[in-house]
Amino acid sequence: MRFFYHKISVLVAVMALASICTSCFKEEPLNAECDIEKAWVHVANPADLFYNESDTLINVISTEDKITFTMRDDADVTALAPLFTITEGATISPANGSVHDFSNGPVKYTVTSQDGKWSRTYTVECNRVAHYVTEVMNFDFEHFELDPTYHKYYIWHNTLPDGSLGDDWATGNRGYYLAQSSATADNYPTTVLENGYEGYGVNLTTRGTGPFGISSKKPIAAGNMFLGRFNGDIAMFKPLMATEFGIPFTQKPLSLSGYYQYSPSTPFTDKNFVQHPERIDAGDIYSVLYLNHDANGNPVVLYGDNVLSSEQIVAVARVQNVNETNGQWVYFDIPFEYRQDIDLELLANRGYNLTIVFSSSIEGASFEGAIGSTLKVDKVRLTCETKE
Amino acid sequence: MKRYIASILITVIASMSAWAIMPNDGGCQNLQNFFRNVEGYGRLGYSIGGTAPMGMPAEIRKLNKFILQPNVAFGADLIKPASAHWGVLAGIHFENKAMHIDATVKNYHMRLTQDGQSLEGVFTGKNDSHAVQWTFTVPIQAVYKFNDKWKIKFGPYFSYITSCNFDGFAYDGYLRVDDPTGAKVLLGTTDEERGNYDFKDDIRKVQWGMGVGVDYFFTRKFGVYADLNWGLSGFFKSSFKTLDQTLYPIYATIGIAYRFK
Repeated sequence: MRFFYHKISVLVAVMALASICTSCFKEEPLNAECDIEKAWVHVANPADLFYNESDTLINVISTEDKITFTMRDDADVTALAPLFTITEGATISPANGSVHDFSNGPVKYTVTSQDGKWSRTYTVECNRVAHYVTEVMNFDFEHFELDPTYHKYYIWHNTLPDGSLGDDWATGNRGYYLAQSSATADNYPTTVLENGYEGYGVNLTTRGTGPFGISSKKPIAAGNMFLGRFNGDIAMFKPLMATEFGIPFTQKPLSLSGYYQYSPSTPFTDKNFVQHPERIDAGDIYSVLYLNHDANGNPVVLYGDNVLSSEQIVAVARVQNVNETNGQWVYFDIPFEYRQDIDLELLANRGYNLTIVFSSSIEGASFEGAIGSTLKVDKVRLTCETKE
Repeated sequence: MKRYIASILITVIASMSAWAIMPNDGGCQNLQNFFRNVEGYGRLGYSIGGTAPMGMPAEIRKLNKFILQPNVAFGADLIKPASAHWGVLAGIHFENKAMHIDATVKNYHMRLTQDGQSLEGVFTGKNDSHAVQWTFTVPIQAVYKFNDKWKIKFGPYFSYITSCNFDGFAYDGYLRVDDPTGAKVLLGTTDEERGNYDFKDDIRKVQWGMGVGVDYFFTRKFGVYADLNWGLSGFFKSSFKTLDQTLYPIYATIGIAYRFK
């Protein structure tokens, strides 16, 4: 009998061993990422270099490889020592906190992952902004290219007062790439309009996000474009927080004008992709000026959930009833309505942010709208006060 | 599907009767002779296990949860003794091989595909997956009988999946698109913030593997048993490219056995 027990215990041991072998954990792999997550400049008197103390710190989005510190036009940048938070275990060259002369242009940093297999190169620059006074700012959408990372969708550049190109226009296209990787550039929500009112324009179309979007209750993506930054890193997680509206703005805006065409589609659907035949889609065009610091001096950015409702808002210009235009260009010219007095000194010191927003579905931020609704926009003008 | 089950049944019956209908003359007497010393067993058991890669990849860091599933198994076996100790077993079992696990992974390569859209990259975070597969399983095993109480079994099994599911979600972490330097996609924990997936259509319908087991009969009629069924065909079709590792269903069953013949 002992013999049998022996046999059985061997068998049980073999079975146990087999199951343990599949469940044992190996040693943790080293980190493979090599990001700069944050960059900042630490100096005794930030006011000597920066308009706002909050400009000393930059949170870097995963797709960004250019880090730009915005500084006073008279800032001394010949000996700065930027500091970086990088992926745990990664190394950076030149060294974190080393002193460099940024007056001759950007400095390149290379971050190498803990496992040594991956690296990324970042360009760090100091942009000393002069104070321009322009009566009318033109937005003509003539400068665009395919995104440098994936070459899948369009990005746009605005023309700065000195004639150079800026990166102030943002779209949700990067978020759409995650949902519909097979889409071509012309099938993204925000695309180039070949025949605009004059030259090229911008074409915003509400698109379906396919199976991935439906499964996460984001069945549509409204075509959108705005002055600000799109944080694609959180587009899936907190979509309303992905649209960081506004760029620092140093003039008092008076009116927003331009041309649009709108064509609503059917059926109108909600975030569960349920149809609502009684609802008709509409577009949205507006501009908001807001205080970029709160009463306690903390930096403020407006997002999808508060860009039209925040207490920080100083002035709004919004086109009412962006409805069917039957294929015709419609001119709009909307004055800014001021809700608070504007502080001109604060304005000159970059204490206000301005955004201009276009959307092909007015409720697009809540993932409500009709796939196929189209807003075309061109020749947008922002008129500002010029008297000192 | 019914055709498959029928064909499996026919195969079993045919192989059993192949011994019965030996050359020469006909049937009945031979058949009776064949079945004279055949033993019949009914089984009712409970399975525990999972669908897992062979050898745990370093990218899987931690098992957060392992939730027991209603994995009942029941069926019948026939054993044809071939000598004093050796015999051949064939049977048909109906069983559920389900699992529900939650694991933490690091830099885990995945390629999500739905209706022609795909998203590929490395995921760091948590993953909750739930698998269900109701199967008809036909074991064909060699049996070694130590005595009336103890016997061990070893041999292949073939399964046909009658209904199945494999779904779950990646959450509380992030995906880097394409490789660790790619765009980051943060995932939260709620239904709307996480990455849901459903791979039901990619499950292989016909699977096979090797089984070992032991029976212990404490009376002439009643006994207990323990089986280990180790899948050797991948759980998913070979066209399934979401995961780098092939997953194999590995389940252990314990239960009671009744000898009816």
